[in-house]
Amino acid sequence: MRLKRLGAADRAMVICIYVFLVLLSFSALYPFWNTLVVSLNEGMDTAKGGVTFWPRVLTWTNYDIVFGDKNLLNAFWISISRTVVGTVSATLVTAMLAYGMTKSYLMGRKFYTFFFVFTMYFGGGLIPTFLLIKSLGLMNNFLVFIIPALVSVWNMIVFRTFFKGLPAGLEESAQIDGCSNWGIFAKIILPLSGPVIATLGLFTAVAHWNDWFLPTIYIFDQQLMPVQSLLRRLLNANLISEQMGIDSNTVERMSKKSITSKSLVSATIMVVTLPIIAVYPFVQKYFVKGVMVGSMKE
Amino acid sequence: MKKLKKPNVWILATVVALTTALAGCSGNSNGEGGSTKPSPTNTAKAGEKDNAGESEDAPWVFGSEPLEFTAYTHYGWQDFPEKMEDVPLWKYLKENKQLNIKSIQAKGNHAQLMSTMMASGDLPELIYGDRYNPDIERLIDNGKIVALDPYLDKYPNLKKWLDPQLMDLLRSKDGKLYKFPNWYTNKSTNTAGYVVNKKIYNELDQPPLQTMDDLYAYLGKVKEKYGDEVVPFEPDRTVDGQGIGVLYTGFAEGNNYKSLSSDVQGVIKDNKLTSLFMDPSFRESQKFVSKLYREKLISQDMFTQDRGKVLEKLMTGRVAVYAGSGPTTYASQAHNELIKTDPEAGYFMIKPIHKAGLDQSNIHPGGYDRLGWNITTITTKAKDPEKIFAFLDWLTGPEGMTIQFFGPEGGNWKGFDENEQPIFTDQYDPAQVTEIQALNDRVMIVGNTSYIDPAKMKYENAKPPEEQNWSARYQSTITWPSANDITALNNKLNPEPDSELGDIRQKILDLITQVLAESATASSDEKVDQILDKAQADAESYGYNKLLEWRTEQWLENKKTLGME
Amino acid sequence: MPQAATEQPYNRPDRRHDRKPFLSRLMKQLDVQLMVWPSIIIIFVFAYIPMYGVLTAFMDYNLFTGARIFDNPWVGFKHFAAFFDAPDFGTILRNTIVISLLKFVIGFPAPILLALMLNEVRHMLFKRFVQTITYLPHFMSWVIVGGVVMSLLSTENGSINIMLQKTGAIDESINFLSIKDYFWTILVSTNVWKEIGFSSIVYLAAIAGVDQHMYEAADIDGASKFKQIYLITVPSIMPVIIIFMILAAGNLLNAGFEDILILAQNPLLRPVSDVIDTYVYRVGLQNQKYSYAVAVGLFKAIISIGLLTLANYLARRSGNSLW
Repeated sequence: MRLKRLGAADRAMVICIYVFLVLLSFSALYPFWNTLVVSLNEGMDTAKGGVTFWPRVLTWTNYDIVFGDKNLLNAFWISISRTVVGTVSATLVTAMLAYGMTKSYLMGRKFYTFFFVFTMYFGGGLIPTFLLIKSLGLMNNFLVFIIPALVSVWNMIVFRTFFKGLPAGLEESAQIDGCSNWGIFAKIILPLSGPVIATLGLFTAVAHWNDWFLPTIYIFDQQLMPVQSLLRRLLNANLISEQMGIDSNTVERMSKKSITSKSLVSATIMVVTLPIIAVYPFVQKYFVKGVMVGSMKE
Repeated sequence: MKKLKKPNVWILATVVALTTALAGCSGNSNGEGGSTKPSPTNTAKAGEKDNAGESEDAPWVFGSEPLEFTAYTHYGWQDFPEKMEDVPLWKYLKENKQLNIKSIQAKGNHAQLMSTMMASGDLPELIYGDRYNPDIERLIDNGKIVALDPYLDKYPNLKKWLDPQLMDLLRSKDGKLYKFPNWYTNKSTNTAGYVVNKKIYNELDQPPLQTMDDLYAYLGKVKEKYGDEVVPFEPDRTVDGQGIGVLYTGFAEGNNYKSLSSDVQGVIKDNKLTSLFMDPSFRESQKFVSKLYREKLISQDMFTQDRGKVLEKLMTGRVAVYAGSGPTTYASQAHNELIKTDPEAGYFMIKPIHKAGLDQSNIHPGGYDRLGWNITTITTKAKDPEKIFAFLDWLTGPEGMTIQFFGPEGGNWKGFDENEQPIFTDQYDPAQVTEIQALNDRVMIVGNTSYIDPAKMKYENAKPPEEQNWSARYQSTITWPSANDITALNNKLNPEPDSELGDIRQKILDLITQVLAESATASSDEKVDQILDKAQADAESYGYNKLLEWRTEQWLENKKTLGME
Repeated sequence: MPQAATEQPYNRPDRRHDRKPFLSRLMKQLDVQLMVWPSIIIIFVFAYIPMYGVLTAFMDYNLFTGARIFDNPWVGFKHFAAFFDAPDFGTILRNTIVISLLKFVIGFPAPILLALMLNEVRHMLFKRFVQTITYLPHFMSWVIVGGVVMSLLSTENGSINIMLQKTGAIDESINFLSIKDYFWTILVSTNVWKEIGFSSIVYLAAIAGVDQHMYEAADIDGASKFKQIYLITVPSIMPVIIIFMILAAGNLLNAGFEDILILAQNPLLRPVSDVIDTYVYRVGLQNQKYSYAVAVGLFKAIISIGLLTLANYLARRSGNSLW
C-alpha cells in the first residue's frame, strides 16, 4: 500500500499513530464494555466487585426487568420520532438560515449575527421560558420537543463556516444558468455539504436523544415520555445518594436503604444508549473524501 | 368489609377516650401561661370555626365513594409509581377502596419542576417530601398548603398515634399543623453503630472491643495479620460524617452524632449550643481518626469512595470493623451472602465503643427523632382536602399499616388481636412479606412506626435469635437501645435559606465539611489543633456565634414544646 | 498557497453598493431574507421574550408571582454582592478560569490532532472502528466514567497504584483523588479523553472537504506526510478551527459541573475544585435561591459576551470572524 512509498520518518509517524489509536480505543472502550459486562452479570454478584472484562455469573435477568417495563416500547417510539423529526427539521431550518447568512449583501447581516450569537450566552432563565411554553400551549405537546429546538445558533455558525469554504465558482455558474438562491441552496449547497450535514445532523440527533430535562418540565403524559426519562431517575438515585450531598436527614435515611443494583442500572444504560450509538457508523460514510471535488469536475 | 367496620368503631371509642385524657394532661403541663403558641385543642377549634358546618358532618368514610387526586414526591431519586397497579398497596386501594392517584413524577429533576409548578400555580394535590424542605416551607408561607387542624378530631388515627407534644413541635410558625408525619414513633429507630467481622474476630481470638484503646489495638492486629487484604476500619462515606461521626460519639458522654450535621453544627454544653471546633472531645476524636488514617488502619479512600465500593468490601469480607449511621442495610446483605459459603463468617454488631472511663450507657452512636423522617402535605389545589386527609388517616391506622406491610387481609394475616395487632395466619410467607414491603416502600408516606414495629417484632420475636432477620435482631438488641432521643435537636434548627442566618449556616456547612476532611487526614495531632483553631477563627468571622445563639433558642423552645425541661 | 482559508466568494460589489431605496433593495433580496426570517421569529419567541427574566436578578423574586415579576421588590445588586462576598470568591473565580483554560489549552487541540491522525489511517475498517470506539465515552454519563476513574485510582486495589508499585515507581499507594496537586490533571485528562472522539467528528468533516488535488500535487513534489499535514490539511480547516476558538472564548466561565462534582468528592479538594457552577449549585439551587442563581447567570453572560467580542476582534485579522 501507500506505506511502502513513505520515507522512514513518515513510516515512524504512521506507526506511532496506529499505536496511539489502539491504546486510545482500548481505554475508550473499557467503560462501555464494563457496563455491558456488568449488565449481563447477576446483581448480588456484581456487588462483590471485581467484574471487569467478562461476566462472572451470566444472566439475562437485568434485561428481562428493563424490557419488562410496559412503557419501554412506547418511550422508544417517542424518542425515535422526536429524534428523527427534530433532527430533520432543525437541520433544514438551520442550514437554510446559515446559507442566507453567508450572503454579504444580506441587509442586517451583522445585526442578525449578533442577534443570534447573543442568545448563546444570555437567557431569561427557567421560569419565564416555562411560562412562555405554557402560554403557547406547548405543555404536554409533542411539538415542544421540536419547535424550540429548530434553530441552533452553534450549528448555524458551523454551517456558515463550511458553506463559505465551498468553491465560489459553482454558485456563480448556477446563477448564470438561472438558478434562484433557493434553487442553489437545494440543488448545489446541500448536495455538496454531505460531511457537515452528517456531522451536525448527528450532533442534533444525539442532543435530541440524550435530552432528559425537557420532558421532566414540560411533559406529564406518560405516553409522551422518551427513554431518557426512564434512565435519568435511576442514575440520579445513584448520583444523589452517593455523590451529591443533600440535607443530612435524607443522607442518613438513604444510607438505610439499598439502592437499585448496579447491574440493573447498567442494563438500562445499555438499552437507552445503544440505539443512538449505532447511528454513527452509518453517518461515517459521508466523511469519505473527494465527494465534493468529484461533483465539481462534472 | 363488614369485619373491618367493627374495629373502626372500637378504635373511635378509644380515641375519644384517649384524646380527652391527653388533652387533660397537656392542659396541665402547658399551664404556665405566657406561651404564644395555641395548644392543639385550641387550634383545632379555631379551624373548625373556619370551616363552619362542614365539621359537623359525619366523617367521610374512606372507600365509600370514589376519590381521585394528583400526588407528587419531592425527591430527585424517587417518584410515586406511574400506575396504581405498580405496587401492591396502590393496587389494593384501586380495587377495594375506589381510589385513583395520579402520579406526577419529577424524574430526577425535582428542584426545577417544583419551581415551575410554583410559578405557574399548577400544584399537585398531595406533596410528599422532607420535613423542612425549603420549597415546602415556602409553599406553607405562601398559603398553598391546607391546615390539617379541622380534621384532626374528626378522624381517629393521627390523633391517636401521634403524641400531641410531637404534633405541637410539627406545627408551623402560625400554630397550625400542615404536615402529616411519616414514620413517627414513640421509641428508638436508630440504626447507627459498629459492625464487626465475625471470622476475623474469631481468628484474632475475640479480644475485648469496648474502649477506643481496645479498638485501636484490635485494628493494629488486623493490619498486622491481614495486611492490605483487609480494611481494618471502614467508616463508610465520610463526606456525610458516618463512621467519623460515630467515633466522635464515643469520646464524651452525651455526644451527638448530629453535632456534625448541617442541621446542628454545634455541641451541647450547659444547655447551650457551642462551637464544634472548640469541643475537646471532637478534637480528641479527630486526632484518633487521623492517627488511624496515618497508620492506615482506616479506609484510605473514605472521602472519595462511593457506597457501592463500601458494599463491595463488606460482601467480600474484607472489612474488620464497619461503622456508620445506617450500617445494618449493607451489613445484613453482606452477612447473608457470606454465610452462604461459610456459616462461621458474617457480621455481628457490638455495643458502642467509648473512651476508657466513660459510662457506656451514656454513649449514643446515633439518635432518633420521634417525628420520624419526612412528611406529606395537602395543597390548596386539592378539590377535597378532607377526603385526602381521610385517606391518609386511614393509611396511618392499623388497617392501612397492616396492609402496607403484610398485604391484604386473608393472606398473611387475618383479623386483629386485643392490641390491634394483626393476627398472622399459618400461610404467613416471610419472602412474600419482604417483597411486599420493598415494593410498597415508596408509597409509605404516613408510616406509623409506633404501631408497625411491634407488629414486625411480633413475628420476629417468635423465632430463636439465630433465625431472626439479621437487621431486626441487632436493631432490637444493639442499635435501638444505644440511641438517645434527639427530637428537640432535629427540628426547626435550620434558618430560612434567604436570611442572614441562612447564609451563615451555608458558610459553616462548607467549612465543617472541609475541616472534617482536613483534620481527619492531618499529618499530626498538632496539625489537627491548628486546623481546628483556624476553623474556629474563620467560623467566628462568618457569624457562627450568632447562628449558635439562634439555634440554642430554637432548641430550648423545642424542648419546652416537648415538655423536656 | 491553499485558497480555502482566505477566499471570500460572496462579496458582490454590484449589490453591496446599491443605492436604491431601502424597500426596493429589500424586495430584491427578499428570497434570501426569507431564509433568515423564520429563524429570527423562532429565536425571538423562544430566546428573547423570556429575557425579561433577567430583571429578577435585581429583585427578591417570589416564585409564586409567576410572570408578574414587578410585584417583587427591587433589591439592586444585593444578589451580586452576596456572590462576590462569598468567603472564597477569589478561589472560586481562579479555579473556574484555570480549569476552563486548561480544558481549552489541552482539550481544544486534542480532537484536531485525533482527526489529523485518523486522516492518516489508510485501513478504512480500522479507521471506522477507532472513530466509533473513541466516540463511545461521550455517551457514558459522568456517574459511570467517574466510577471507572475512581476504581482505577483507588488506594485499595486501584490498577494505577498496583502498576506503579509493581514497577517500583512508588512504595506506598498514592491517594490520587485526595491530593490537590493531582486534581486538575485528573479532571482535564478525563475530560479530554471523554470528549475527544465526539469533538473530532466536526474536524473529520472539515478534512473531508479538503481538495484532494492538493495532496496529489504535494505527493508528486515529494513533500513528506508531515509537511502535507502542516501545509495543506491544517490551513484548509483553519476557518473551522478559528470559529471554534472564538466560541470557546465565550465559555471561559463554564469550567464544568457534573465532572467536578463527581471527581472532587473529597472536600479537601475544594480549594482547587470549587468553580462557579458547583458553588452556585451548592449555595443557590439546593436552597432554591432563584434570584441569586439568575444573578450569577447574568454575571457569567456579561463576561462571556465580553470575551467573545474580544476574541472575535482578535480573530478578525485572520479573515475569520463571527461578525
